[in-house]
Amino acid sequence: MSIEARDVTKKFGEFTALQGVDLVVRAGELVALLGPSGSGKTTLLRIIAGLEFPDAGHVLFDGKDISDRSARERNVGFVFQHYALFRHMTVSENIAFGLTVRPRKLRPSKEQIRARVHELLKLVQLEDHAVRHPSQLSGGQRQRVALARALAVEPKIMLLDEPFGSLDAKVRIELRRWLRRLHDEIHITTVFVTHDQEEALEVSDRVVVMNEGRIEQAGSPEEVYHHPASAFVYDFLGNVNLFRGRTEGERPGAGESASSLLGDAKQDIVYVRPHALAIDREPQEGSHYRATIRRINLAGPLAKIEAIAEWGDPVYVEISQERFQELQLKKGDEVFLRPRDTKVFSSAGRR
Amino acid sequence: MKRTVSLGSRSVPMAVARTQLEPVLVRRLLIAVALLFLGLFILLPLGIVFASAFRLGAGAYLNAFLDPDTLSAIRLTLLTAAIAVPLNMIFGIAASWAIAKFQFLGKSLLITLIDLPFSVSPVVSGLVYVLVFGLQGLLGPWLADREIKIIFAMPGIVLATIFVTFPFVARELIPLMQSQGNDEEEAALTLGASGWQTFWRVTLPNMKWGLLYGVILCNARAMGEFGAVSVVSGHIRGLTNTMPLHIEILYNEYQYVAAFAVASLLALLALVTLAARSLVEWKSKQHLADVRLTHKEALEI
Repeated sequence: MSIEARDVTKKFGEFTALQGVDLVVRAGELVALLGPSGSGKTTLLRIIAGLEFPDAGHVLFDGKDISDRSARERNVGFVFQHYALFRHMTVSENIAFGLTVRPRKLRPSKEQIRARVHELLKLVQLEDHAVRHPSQLSGGQRQRVALARALAVEPKIMLLDEPFGSLDAKVRIELRRWLRRLHDEIHITTVFVTHDQEEALEVSDRVVVMNEGRIEQAGSPEEVYHHPASAFVYDFLGNVNLFRGRTEGERPGAGESASSLLGDAKQDIVYVRPHALAIDREPQEGSHYRATIRRINLAGPLAKIEAIAEWGDPVYVEISQERFQELQLKKGDEVFLRPRDTKVFSSAGRR
Repeated sequence: MKRTVSLGSRSVPMAVARTQLEPVLVRRLLIAVALLFLGLFILLPLGIVFASAFRLGAGAYLNAFLDPDTLSAIRLTLLTAAIAVPLNMIFGIAASWAIAKFQFLGKSLLITLIDLPFSVSPVVSGLVYVLVFGLQGLLGPWLADREIKIIFAMPGIVLATIFVTFPFVARELIPLMQSQGNDEEEAALTLGASGWQTFWRVTLPNMKWGLLYGVILCNARAMGEFGAVSVVSGHIRGLTNTMPLHIEILYNEYQYVAAFAVASLLALLALVTLAARSLVEWKSKQHLADVRLTHKEALEI
């Protein structure tokens, strides 16, 4: 089932959570709503679910306006950030809940419910925990119960609010890969909210980047990562160094090399990712500038170097361990930094 | 403290002795004061209630309950509690639900008003009812025309009891419901449950221990209320005397055994309440521990 939000606006008192947001999610897609806290992503998700109602705008499922329908009537599976499992019920009872509250005529028989619960327990790999209570489960297990509970009512749409936000790093990665595989299996239209760019880029078919109640950019992970529509998107999707600099030519497009970077000029802001900076002992062709190495971190696949640029700002550089060995860098060394790939956004923040 | 500590090893043993000795002294003193206080002001009177009630033997004790006026007072007290407690339970659930789960205008006013009976002397609350419903009161003439008796009759007693006891359930539930939040109700809603189903299957089970605790406290106070009821009852023997009022009358008439026999029932109620309360507290602590656990984990990141 496809989802469409048209010109949705929502205010909480003085605070504007969403400003005229348009969003289209195609049937069977797995879409990530990505943004910092306060960007309106959770509000948008809750409006799609019918847990909040917009001040203006419409929500359509499969082209049909369902703005007036309550959450109860939308047949949407919702997974809450803090699981929201029914704490006085066992895992099985939690999963069965959505089926047992159906009107008598639509309610499956006890055997059917039991069979469905068993099937879902198998799907989320919790068959041995059927009679436990939520308080006896780990965070990852709870989240899987919450997923199974939402899936039990066979929703046409799955909405997940920061589904992995409360889990520790390792479980988080495991669970999000599992979610991706699950989606590939059941192909249910899914929208999830996250503030973790890595999560959004890895799991989703399409990423919708939000900021201050607006959508900054929507596109495939590759698209938003390599062709960011705005400085915000570029900045949010990874670590980045900001240089204020004078750029040659009239207005260099994104991806074009900015030449003659100067720390004190003010016209443009040049963005360079840490891995797009090269380090040399000697000055090379093209633009470069001096820096002094302040900190070196060799834990991990890349050597992470923090240097102080000649005008005093810290600059973060990532180079391969091999290159690091080659250069024999030490703290306090004076080096030359050469940007290999830059993005230039005008001072207004948008290209 | 020992004064014969040799100079060489003085600093260490003295320090140890001090830190150990003084708290022991302080601790014992505090315990002694607390126990003495408890014994003198609570256990002794409680013992005297039962001792006095049984002073002339079990026969005289049981005889006291054969008096029709006494039986009528017990009946009236039970009836009053049977009306006031369920009403306050419903009110308490409604008020705490509204306060914990919704934002609305006048919410803080409602919270303040719920506490009003705690801050007002019960006698004053009784008087207010007299001023409203009494013969010379605001609605007095209108009620008199229709021969509806509220003051100096059972309705007045029930009203005064409801007023005095209405904070108990709400006060117990508000913090509990606030700490539990809205998530589970929202989850139930998205799973297709109706409001009614959500209440019976999610909200009520989550608050049952707090609710029981509030109801027990509310009941104890409803049966034991003296001041407010005293003002509106009129002390008509066999008709408008509740147990506490009847005890006073018996006592003033020097019927000590009878007075203490009835008093022993109220004392017994208090003991049962305490026991029930401990049980409920223990149960809800387990429950709350679960809540805190999930909350803590939720906050860890």
